Amino acid sequence: MSRSTAPASGTRLSLQARLLATVLGVMSVVWLAVAASTWYDTGHELDELLDAHLAQAAALLVTQRLDDLEGDNFPPPPTLHKYQTRVAIQVWHEGKLVVRSTNAPEASLASGDVPGLRTSMVEGDAWRVLTTPGREPDVVIHVGELESARHHILMASLRSIGLPMLLALPLLALGIWWAVRGAVRPLRALGQAVAARRPQALQPLSVQAVPPEVAPLVTALNGLFERMTELLESERRFTADAAHELRTPIAAIRMQVQVAQEAPSDAGREQALAATLQGCDRAARLVEQLLQLARLESEASYGEGPARPGPSSADMAAIARALVAEFERQVTARGQRLVLDAAAAVPSPLPAALAQVLMRNLIDNAVRYSPDGALVRISVCGSPEGGAGRLVVEDSGPGLTPDAMARLGERFFRVVGSPQTGSGLGWSIVRRLARLFELDLVVDRSAALGGLRVTVSWKQDGRVHQA
Amino acid sequence: MRILLAEDDELLGSGIKAGLTQKGFHVDWVRDGVAAERELLTGEHQAVVLDLGLPRQDGMDSLKAARARRIATPVLVLTARDAVSARIEGLDAGADDYLVKPVDLHELAARLRALVRRAHGQTQSRLTAGPVTLDPAAHQVWLDGAPVELSGREYDLLQVFMLNAGRVLSREQIEQHLYKWGTEVASNTVEVHIYNLRRKLRAELIETVRGVGYVLRRDSSPVA
Repeated sequence: MSRSTAPASGTRLSLQARLLATVLGVMSVVWLAVAASTWYDTGHELDELLDAHLAQAAALLVTQRLDDLEGDNFPPPPTLHKYQTRVAIQVWHEGKLVVRSTNAPEASLASGDVPGLRTSMVEGDAWRVLTTPGREPDVVIHVGELESARHHILMASLRSIGLPMLLALPLLALGIWWAVRGAVRPLRALGQAVAARRPQALQPLSVQAVPPEVAPLVTALNGLFERMTELLESERRFTADAAHELRTPIAAIRMQVQVAQEAPSDAGREQALAATLQGCDRAARLVEQLLQLARLESEASYGEGPARPGPSSADMAAIARALVAEFERQVTARGQRLVLDAAAAVPSPLPAALAQVLMRNLIDNAVRYSPDGALVRISVCGSPEGGAGRLVVEDSGPGLTPDAMARLGERFFRVVGSPQTGSGLGWSIVRRLARLFELDLVVDRSAALGGLRVTVSWKQDGRVHQA
Repeated sequence: MRILLAEDDELLGSGIKAGLTQKGFHVDWVRDGVAAERELLTGEHQAVVLDLGLPRQDGMDSLKAARARRIATPVLVLTARDAVSARIEGLDAGADDYLVKPVDLHELAARLRALVRRAHGQTQSRLTAGPVTLDPAAHQVWLDGAPVELSGREYDLLQVFMLNAGRVLSREQIEQHLYKWGTEVASNTVEVHIYNLRRKLRAELIETVRGVGYVLRRDSSPVA
């Protein structure tokens, strides 16, 4: 058994991959946004906080007299916090660095004496510096802090939110994979159940066993199964009917051949051989009709709509003329008359080959079921503007009872008491053609000739102009 | 042997009729189910070849109606319905044999002979009565082992007597067995044939039962 997997196209992703990509992608974007806003907010808050600290430290220095700060009188401050060493202090007096903390550079932390907060580069390091004048004139105090220290704190705070996120992504992926696998399992089971089916097994699938999302698919599948069952059933019936109907002519041929083989006289042999030939003709006609019908039926089941052959430029009158000539011998042999009443060309509503099938079956029926010496009249006429038209086949035969008229076209229905052999297939074919090409089919009694009258009419077909 | 053929198909019917006639049967042919039932009910035929898909009335119904009226004529169903269920239904409805079309002429004839033989309680395909032996398949008659030439009618008459050995048959019964419908039978025809049979075989083989008819003794002992 071949596993029918759809051809994998490059653009097609499995549900699982799609879900995984979407969720992980969205999560990553959200996480990056959170990280960016945290970076910005925390940086801002941190700057404000630490700037405040710088200002506080500077304020303490401003209250001191220069003498207190200068020389040995200024004791190194006790280390009260690990970050404390990052704060550097410079006190300038008349352009000379008089006091500096041990971690402060020799060069000025700020390039000017303008009070205020700024960021400056000193010996390759970025410093955040608060400049303020001292208590005495000509004293400038710089309180600075390395920017890298601030970055350190910022990075630490980002790390604390980033790490759990990085850890969460693989876990999330695993969770999605597991959940999708579970969700897709009924679909997979459904696929396996359908794949394992024998072609004849068309019983419906259970809708209860699948998740609600899959139920429409199962319902659609069941609908398909049902239509296929009907199609199979009709084909099975058709085959059975056909075999049944072919048995009788074959039995007749076989019997007649055996009669001919053992005929005691030449006359008897001739008669049996003539009957054999007749049987062959009948079987051939039956096969031909069955094939026509089968073709029409498969067209009806598969090719409804655009696949249907459109109307043609064939001339109904010409086809009728050819058929009348074809039937001439058969008709003359039985003393019947076949009359065609067609003045001008009439565009056919269906392809030439099928128009011929339609007309041949109608004429054949009329000739076959009319008694010897009967008159069969065919008239073809079209509307002046073209498009619409009418085909009438009527005869002077015995006609049909209303009951028999209603049953015409049932496969293998034969008119009771009819001495002629026929399978009833001709009518099935005519009916099928009428349905396929939206022709109106009316069967009634011929007012002029007294027998059966069949009227096939068609309207202006819009598709002719569209084409 | 008179056979009733019920078949609506003109070509097949004429073939069977011609074929069975070649095989020495006399065939009466009807073309619909109602006629088949009517003819079945007369009980005049030794066997019936019955198609099922007949106009007016299904052959199966004709058969059931005949069996309901206790008509015991052997019936061979010859039909296109080949389903096992159809065969079972046919046999259960009272058919003695069931053949699906197409059928071989020789087989059909052989089955008819077998049906007729069994209907008369015979187990041997050759019929024997004293010194006379009759082979329905070969259409041959022997007297004490020596072949005897009989005309068609004489042969038919002898077969009727042998199938009904020990039973007294009236002249009307004999005529029904021998002649198809529409055959003009002169009043003394049967007597003439019996006279010829007695002459060609043995005079004491067929006894006359006065006022009733004729009888062929099952074990007519050879004359000493």
